[in-house]
Amino acid sequence: MPVTFIQILGKKLVLQLKAFFLTMQEFFIFSVRAFMSFPKIIRYWRDVLDQATICGTDSIPIVLVSAISIGALLAIEVGNLLEDFGAKTMLGRSTALTVIRELGPLLMGLMLSARFGSRNGAELGAMQISEQIDALRAFGTDPIAKLVMPRLVAALIMFLPLTALSDFAGLQSASYMAEHYHRIDPGIFWNAVYPRLVAKDFVVGFLKAPVFAVIITLVSSFNGFSARGGTAGVGRSTIKGIVVSSGLVLIANFYVSKIVLENM
Amino acid sequence: MIELRKVGLKYGDKEILKNVSLTVQDNTIKAILGPSGVGKSTILKLMLGLIKPNSGQVLVDGTDITNMKETSLYNIRRKMGMVFQGNALFDSLTISQNLGFFLRENMKLPEEEISRKVAEQIQFAGLEGYEDQLPESLSGGMRRRVAIGRALIFKPHMILFDEPTAGLDPVSSKKILSLISSLRHNNNLGAVIVTHIIDDVFNVADSVAVLYQGEIIFDDVTEKLHEAEHPFIRSILSDKILEL
Repeated sequence: MPVTFIQILGKKLVLQLKAFFLTMQEFFIFSVRAFMSFPKIIRYWRDVLDQATICGTDSIPIVLVSAISIGALLAIEVGNLLEDFGAKTMLGRSTALTVIRELGPLLMGLMLSARFGSRNGAELGAMQISEQIDALRAFGTDPIAKLVMPRLVAALIMFLPLTALSDFAGLQSASYMAEHYHRIDPGIFWNAVYPRLVAKDFVVGFLKAPVFAVIITLVSSFNGFSARGGTAGVGRSTIKGIVVSSGLVLIANFYVSKIVLENM
Repeated sequence: MIELRKVGLKYGDKEILKNVSLTVQDNTIKAILGPSGVGKSTILKLMLGLIKPNSGQVLVDGTDITNMKETSLYNIRRKMGMVFQGNALFDSLTISQNLGFFLRENMKLPEEEISRKVAEQIQFAGLEGYEDQLPESLSGGMRRRVAIGRALIFKPHMILFDEPTAGLDPVSSKKILSLISSLRHNNNLGAVIVTHIIDDVFNVADSVAVLYQGEIIFDDVTEKLHEAEHPFIRSILSDKILEL
């Protein structure tokens, strides 16, 4: 009896592992085909512009809201902590480092994973179950070049300015809270920010933008393309896309910081 | 001509098609009849090379497309038009844009030429005045006619219909069936019709293949279907419509 149970368990594990590696293989091929479609950018430039509006311009409000709230919160909490050590004037420096290196790009990544990633997953998933993607293939259009490549290019272009915007808004709100909550003169705050920032800090922060762009676009699009089983299937694939891309954004955030800080 | 030779297909452990062989001649209408979920639509996707079989061969005009690369398949697919069960119209595009989409995508034609071809299909489908509407604002029958127009715009040799009358009211169904018949008579087009409605088969098809439990149990001219002795065929002839 226990042997049978172990055998069944082992069989299930093998099947799941097989399914996992098959999915990884499909995702790899899907990603390669998306990058190989880059030469078709001239043909699909209108789609790139549409996607740039969706993932860039239309995402500004959510990126601003998250960056402003976290910047303000960070200024209050870190200011309180620094006050205990009599080092409140260092608030600008500590906030700037945290925002530019970590929180600015990370929050932008997570917000776009939710906003842009969910849109990709739901839209492409709906197209998949309504056979629109099959229709593209049936009539001789490469769906990856038409639907995924423009999203990828748009994200690669737009995530950089969004990161800059997120950093700027976060620091501005931190400066505002430093002045009105901790009574720190803005001159002192910004003096602690500018002279101390080095190229490495910007490299860490801005290198994350293209990494997140690739992760969010490819994971969400792949899940959209893999949607099966009607509207419930679209829901499942969208959720899976957001969960996986958010997790990968968090992991990539750690490794990009680690690699750059150790090597620069 | 489209030919399936001993095609087998599995999804996971489930065997969908077992040694399926059938031929669709040019300028004829072939129906594939069977209950829902038996793999009829899968056969159409195999004919287009949208999915690959686990065994056997798929030939289009004598060319083996079984293991053909996606980029090479695009040229083969342009010989065939496909009308999907749910129409698969692009819901963010107008009727005119849907009709002209693949001409703009894949053929380097001047815009005036594309507009002329789109206007032809609008007229053919009887959709004058609806050019700038989105698909969601049309009735089921109208959407189906747009899907047929889109499939025809390339001037294919063969057109594949996935459940052409499913979900339509009797009047719309009749219109679609007469449209399919007229295609063969007026445009010399061949067609494959996948359906679970036996009346559709008798109305338009020259020959019929019956798919049951993944196997072809009958493949002959439509008139001979009445003579078939297989219990499944006897039961569908008495019920007229297959269990959904």
